[in-house]
Amino acid sequence: MDQLDILKQNWQSQTNNSPRFTKDQLTGLLARKSSGIVKWLFIIAMIEFAVFIVLGIVSHFYNQDSNIDVIGLMGEPFYYGSTLLHYVVIFTFIYLFYQNYKNISTSQPTRSLMKNILKTRRTMKWYIWYNLIYILVVGMIATVMVIPKDPNITKLLATPKMAGHETAFYLIALGASFVVFLVICVVMYLIYQLIYGILLRKLKRNYNELKRMEV
Amino acid sequence: MSKKLEEEFVKLLDENQNIVHKICRLYTNDQHAHNDLFQEVTVQLWRAYPKFRGDSKFSTWMYRVALNTAITLYRKSTRRVKTQDYESVQFKIEDRQEDDEQMEQLTLLYGAVKQLNDIEKALVFLYLEDKNYKEIAETMGISEVNARVKMNRIKTKLTNIINP
Repeated sequence: MDQLDILKQNWQSQTNNSPRFTKDQLTGLLARKSSGIVKWLFIIAMIEFAVFIVLGIVSHFYNQDSNIDVIGLMGEPFYYGSTLLHYVVIFTFIYLFYQNYKNISTSQPTRSLMKNILKTRRTMKWYIWYNLIYILVVGMIATVMVIPKDPNITKLLATPKMAGHETAFYLIALGASFVVFLVICVVMYLIYQLIYGILLRKLKRNYNELKRMEV
Repeated sequence: MSKKLEEEFVKLLDENQNIVHKICRLYTNDQHAHNDLFQEVTVQLWRAYPKFRGDSKFSTWMYRVALNTAITLYRKSTRRVKTQDYESVQFKIEDRQEDDEQMEQLTLLYGAVKQLNDIEKALVFLYLEDKNYKEIAETMGISEVNARVKMNRIKTKLTNIINP
């Protein structure tokens, strides 16, 4: 008989060191809130959806109030078309998130549960990538199409010392907006590594352990 | 959720709470964390209960939800205090006439099980609860062959922990 079987023989007769909870105490526990990772995944996802939806709305009002006719410059069909597409994509992500989230059930086998949680988290990763790329594209379009029409910039470029340096100016502006974009990406990446790193470290370790067993 | 459902659930939980306590003892190192995990398991069980259709035994379903909570969902409470007075390292059995030597061996074995990783603990727990490999494999979501292979490796690992 191996050692584990010795333990097994005595397993059922082990005494409980912790006091048993009374029925009243158990009923009280039912009202408590979960502190598990799925709840946090949900909260983070809701914040992410809200942030980019609000950002879109704010930038729309900003464009409307701007002294440069951003909408006119881009052309109404393009401006409203791309905005509409952006929201269709966001709502597709919300739908995908909801579908994945719904599939997370504690009654399923451990490996499937872990897989579904990681899938949900991946959906949100793609959502963030989508938004970053969207911001990059919109930022580039704005730099190329809108900046040349900005009255302040036109005035600046008309000064004698800027003569002949227009192309260089636009390239620098383009480069600068790209650098700003990269900084945003890096900051978001670090925040993400931190939040999801803390949240999913244990899950990933255990998931890899289960995966290793299947090799 | 209805009062009747709640009463029915609490009755089943009360009858089977020992299962949850055993899992909590295996996965935590102090009384506070034990209670914290117990609470999280209860919340998860209660949440999943309306979907429990009774096509498996309540206890079987409970193993799955409780282990999933311990391995996957539970995040250690930040208020965790490491205390030595928690008797989790001690394996205690009912007041039977066991000789000291056997008791010592059992304590040593339980201590070794506690040193395993989360997944290994789950397999050992199910094994100790007299689940067959088919059930172990189904609970963990792995193949039966791999569950068997892993169990053998765990047994070797335990021997190595006890006799370094």
